[in-house]
Amino acid sequence: MENELKQLIIDTLDLEDISVADIDSQAPLFNDGLGLDSIDALELGLAIRKKYNVKIDAEKEDVVKIFSSVSTLAEYIEAARG
Amino acid sequence: MTVDFVLRSWNAWAPGMSCHEDWRKWHDHQTFAQQEKAALPAAVPKVLQRRLSPLARAVFNAANGCIDSDKSLPIVFSSAHGEVNKSLEMLKSMQKGDEVSPTAFSLSVHNAIAGLFSIAYANHQEITVVAPGQDGIAPAFIEALGLLQEHHNEVLIVMYDEPLSDFYPSLPFALNAPAICALALKVSLTGSGLPLQFNRSPAHRDDGEQALQILSFIKFLVADDETLVLGNHRHSWEWHKK
Repeated sequence: MENELKQLIIDTLDLEDISVADIDSQAPLFNDGLGLDSIDALELGLAIRKKYNVKIDAEKEDVVKIFSSVSTLAEYIEAARG
Repeated sequence: MTVDFVLRSWNAWAPGMSCHEDWRKWHDHQTFAQQEKAALPAAVPKVLQRRLSPLARAVFNAANGCIDSDKSLPIVFSSAHGEVNKSLEMLKSMQKGDEVSPTAFSLSVHNAIAGLFSIAYANHQEITVVAPGQDGIAPAFIEALGLLQEHHNEVLIVMYDEPLSDFYPSLPFALNAPAICALALKVSLTGSGLPLQFNRSPAHRDDGEQALQILSFIKFLVADDETLVLGNHRHSWEWHKK
């Protein structure tokens, strides 16, 4: 799941020079880590909805926590899919 | 009214064209290479590079030749059509029932390239984006010369346009560029460079929209011509080498 998600991040966000092995599952995705920004978060949210049919609702969920790393994002998606 | 100013430096990019010498050679045969991407300046951070369209790369490449990356200056960007081809792609995907990409939307607006540029160069100066419509390159000069009158030492003008999708009718308008082209001009009221005069002209002209006028202006810069007059049915303007 985590590797699949890393590939989705790379493809969705055009991270040309980065491979799955370069992304640390525990490292922050935004700002310091991969250096992603709020537009990337929206784009990733859309890609996750399309691929896993999981909607991350910014009104109801703690999006900062969900998007904090590949690991937390994978956990959330797996739990949401049931 | 006549306004005197100095062209401190200029740089232009189009496929196959990246220095003044290339443009001087182009002046004789006037064809462009096919399908070449503009090289990216080293100053552009990695995370921003993936957001740059071919048109944005041309803008960054042209502008980079006129600025010191450690010194910010006010900029007037000018584009008749901006990234309208991106908007068209989004409309097409909406028509198919697909969801619109937030990234594509953010990069499709008229000031998208100016925004990316200000982030990449940490430029906090006044930045304006002009959509000159059918009026060609003159509105960008009017805006930039106005900024100089307000006591800015130097202003960068960056004009850019790309060929429009076939979806849009180009006739009876003369608006279509033969290739992506970006022209950067650093102007001031004093200092070394090429002294120029700018004023209204009573001539009635039919020189097309900005995409075509950019090339006319580059020809004027590399040729020995002393005067250039450009207009598109309504107002006409004159540039004169002093």
